Amino acid sequence: MSAVELAGVGKRYGRVRALADVDLAFDCGVTGLLGPNGAGKTTLLRIVATSIAADSGEVRLLGRDPHRSQADVTAVRRELGYLPQELGYPSDMTAFGFLEYVAVLKEWNDRERRSQEVRRVLEAVGLADQATVRISRLSGGQRRRVGLAQALLGDPRLVVLDEPTTGLDPAQRADLRRTLSALGRRSTVLLSTHQTEDVAALCERVVVLAGGTVRFDGAVTDLVATAVGRVWLANEPGEDALVSWRTGTGRHHVVGGTPPVGADPAEPTLEDAYLLMLGHDAHRVHSPS
Amino acid sequence: MTTGTRDWHADPELLSRYLTGALNALTASSVEHHVNRCETCRTAVGSLLEPQLVERTWAGIRDSVERPPLPQPLRFARRCGLPEPTAVLLAAAASLRGAWLVGAFLSLSFATLAAYASGGTALAPFLLAAPLAPVLGVAAAYGPRQDPLEVLVATAPYGRTRLILLRTLAVLVSVLPVTVLLGLAVPGPLWLAAAWLGPALALVPVLLAVAAFVGPRFAAALVSFVWSGVVLGSAWLPLAPTWPVEAAQQGVYLGLGVAACAVIVIRAGTDRQPGVAL
Amino acid sequence: MGTTPIVTDAALVAAVADGDMSALRELYARHGAWLHARLLRRCNDRDVVVEVVQDTFVALWQDARRFRHEGEVGAWLWGIAFRRMVSRLRRRKDVVLLPEWDVPSVRQHVLPSAEDQVLLGVEYGDLAAGLRRLSPEFRAVVQAVVLDGLTTKEAGRLLGVRENTVKTRLHRAKAQLRTALTEREEGWP
Repeated sequence: MSAVELAGVGKRYGRVRALADVDLAFDCGVTGLLGPNGAGKTTLLRIVATSIAADSGEVRLLGRDPHRSQADVTAVRRELGYLPQELGYPSDMTAFGFLEYVAVLKEWNDRERRSQEVRRVLEAVGLADQATVRISRLSGGQRRRVGLAQALLGDPRLVVLDEPTTGLDPAQRADLRRTLSALGRRSTVLLSTHQTEDVAALCERVVVLAGGTVRFDGAVTDLVATAVGRVWLANEPGEDALVSWRTGTGRHHVVGGTPPVGADPAEPTLEDAYLLMLGHDAHRVHSPS
Repeated sequence: MTTGTRDWHADPELLSRYLTGALNALTASSVEHHVNRCETCRTAVGSLLEPQLVERTWAGIRDSVERPPLPQPLRFARRCGLPEPTAVLLAAAASLRGAWLVGAFLSLSFATLAAYASGGTALAPFLLAAPLAPVLGVAAAYGPRQDPLEVLVATAPYGRTRLILLRTLAVLVSVLPVTVLLGLAVPGPLWLAAAWLGPALALVPVLLAVAAFVGPRFAAALVSFVWSGVVLGSAWLPLAPTWPVEAAQQGVYLGLGVAACAVIVIRAGTDRQPGVAL
Repeated sequence: MGTTPIVTDAALVAAVADGDMSALRELYARHGAWLHARLLRRCNDRDVVVEVVQDTFVALWQDARRFRHEGEVGAWLWGIAFRRMVSRLRRRKDVVLLPEWDVPSVRQHVLPSAEDQVLLGVEYGDLAAGLRRLSPEFRAVVQAVVLDGLTTKEAGRLLGVRENTVKTRLHRAKAQLRTALTEREEGWP
C-alpha cells in the first residue's frame, strides 16, 4: 500500500476540468510533477495536501480516506507538510515568529522543543541568521525558503511542495536539492516545477501532466529514453522541428521533426523528452537552458 | 623584553588567578583595567571559563531575542493563566493587539459620551457601536478561506474552525466587559447597560455562519449594514430610542442567534473535510 | 597578502540595532566571557551572574539604537550589567560584593611577576599601604565609585547609605590617600 493513492480522481472548477481520471500512486522518494500552466499540477497537489476535495474518484493518503471522518483527515494532516504555490505572511511577523505560529498549529505545544524545531528548519533552509528579521524585509527567495521551512516542520511523512524553486538562485537550489533528497529517504515528497533541471537533478520519478491528464509516469531515465533518436545538433534549424534553438557553439539544437542535412544525433536531455511528450503544447513552456 | 606596554598581555596564569579570586583587590583592578582595553586578553579569558556556563547564558539570550514578544493584552492573559500555545495562536490575530482594542474602546467611549450628553435621547450611536464592536473584532481575527495564509491553517491538525472559535472567544472576552461598564454610564433604565448584549451575542454567530459561505469581510459588511439599518431606521421612523433592544426584538435576536449556532455546529461537524470549512 | 577587514564593535552594535542576530552573537563572543568573569569576581551566585549577562545582552538587542558612539562597547555593557546586578542583589546580604583588599601573606606564586606588576601599573608600597589604612566603609566607597564606575547616588543605594555620606567618605578617603601618595594615579578623579 502506497503513501498516496489516487484512483480515477477528477476535479472541475465550473466549466473547466482541471483533472480528469487521474490514477497515480506515490511512495518514499522524491517525485516531480512537470507540466505547463493549467495542466492541473496545483490542483493535484492541493488534493493531496487535503486543501480541496476531489469531485470524483478515490483518494487515500497514508492509508486513510480523508473524506471519511474528521479523525482521518486530522491524522493525515499531522504527518503533512505543505507549501502552497502562493503563501501569504502577516506583514509584521519575523521568520521565527511565523514558524512558531505554524508549529503551534501543528501541535508543537512544548515551548522548548518547538523553538529547537524552528531553529532546526531555519538552519535546514539556510536562514538561521535571519530568524529575527521581519518577513516583509526578506527577499522573495528568502520568503519562499521560509515557506519551505514550515513545510519541513516535524519531518513529515508526506511533503507537498508547489513550485518550491521559484525565486531561488542556483546555489540555493543546490541546497534545496540536498535537503529534499535527504528528506526523500524517509518521506514521500511531491513537488511541482517548471524547471526540468530540478526534476533531472532531484527526482527519481517524474509525472508529466497536461490538460488534466497524466501523460507520463515513471523513472526520469525512462522519460529521457523516449527522446533518443529524435534530437540532433545541426548547422541550421530544422524546418518541421518541434522546437529548435541556437546553442552557444553556434550550432542548432533541434528537437523532433525530420533531421536537417548534416545533423548529428545529440544526447537527449530531460527537457527534450518533456517537449516531445507535450507535442504542440511545447511552445508555451520552452525556455532555453 | 623589548616590547612596549602596548604589546603586553596578561599571561594565562595571571588571568586564571584573577578568575579564582586569588589576586588582591588592587592587582585585580589593574588586571581589569588592562583587559577592558585589550581584545586579545578578553578572548583569552573566554578559553579559561567553563564553556557550558557561557553556552548556557547564550541559549537564554537567544531564546529571549528570537521569540517575538507577546502583545500587551496577551501578556496580561498569560499571567492570568492562559496556556502558552494558545497565546501564540491569539497573538497572530490583528484584533487582539493593543491598538485595535484601544480603537474599539475609544469608539465606544465616544458613543457612550454622545448618549450621556443627549440625556438618553440619542442612544443610536451607542446601540449601533456596542454590538458591532465584537462583530468587527471577530471578523478581523481571521481571513477568508482562500487567503494564502489561511490555506496553511486549513491544512494543519489544529483545525480552522477551532482557531476561529478560539479567536472569537478571545475577542468577546476582551471587548464585552469593557462595553458593559461603559453601558452603565448611558442614561436611562439600568437594563440598558446590558441590553445591547442581546444583539451582540446574536450577531456574532450570524457573522460566523454567513462568513462560512461568503468570507469574513463580506459577512462583516453585510451584518454591519443590516444592523445599522435596524438602529438608524428605528431612529428615523421614529420609534422609541430603546426600540432596537426591547423585549420583542430581543426574542428575534435570540431566535437568529440560535439558528446561526445551529448552522455553525452542522458545518463544524464536517469542517475538516478537505474543501469545506467555516 | 590581503588583510581581512575587522568589524568594529561599534559597527556590530549598529548591525544589532538593525535586527542582525549574528552581530549580537559576535558581540557576545567578544565580550560575554569577560563580562561573566568580572561579575563572578563580585558575586558568588552563578545563577544571578547568568541572568544578569542574559539581561544585559537582551537589553543590548532592544536598545542598540541608544548607543552613543563615544566610549567602548565593553564599558557600556559593563555599565548595564553592573547596575543590573546591583539592583538585583541590593537586598541580599549573603552574596559577596566587595573583593579582598588585604594583601594575603606573601606567597610568591600568588603575586604577579615584578615585570607584570610594572606593566599592569601596579605599584605596591605607598598606594597599597594607603588603601589598607582606609577603613572598610571608605574602601567600599572607593571600590564602588572609582573602580566600578557607579555614580555617587548609585553607590549610596548599593551600600545602603545616603548619597551625601558617599560623597563625604569619598572626599575623606581621597584626602587620606593624597597624604599617602606622592603623585596622582591615573583614573582617580
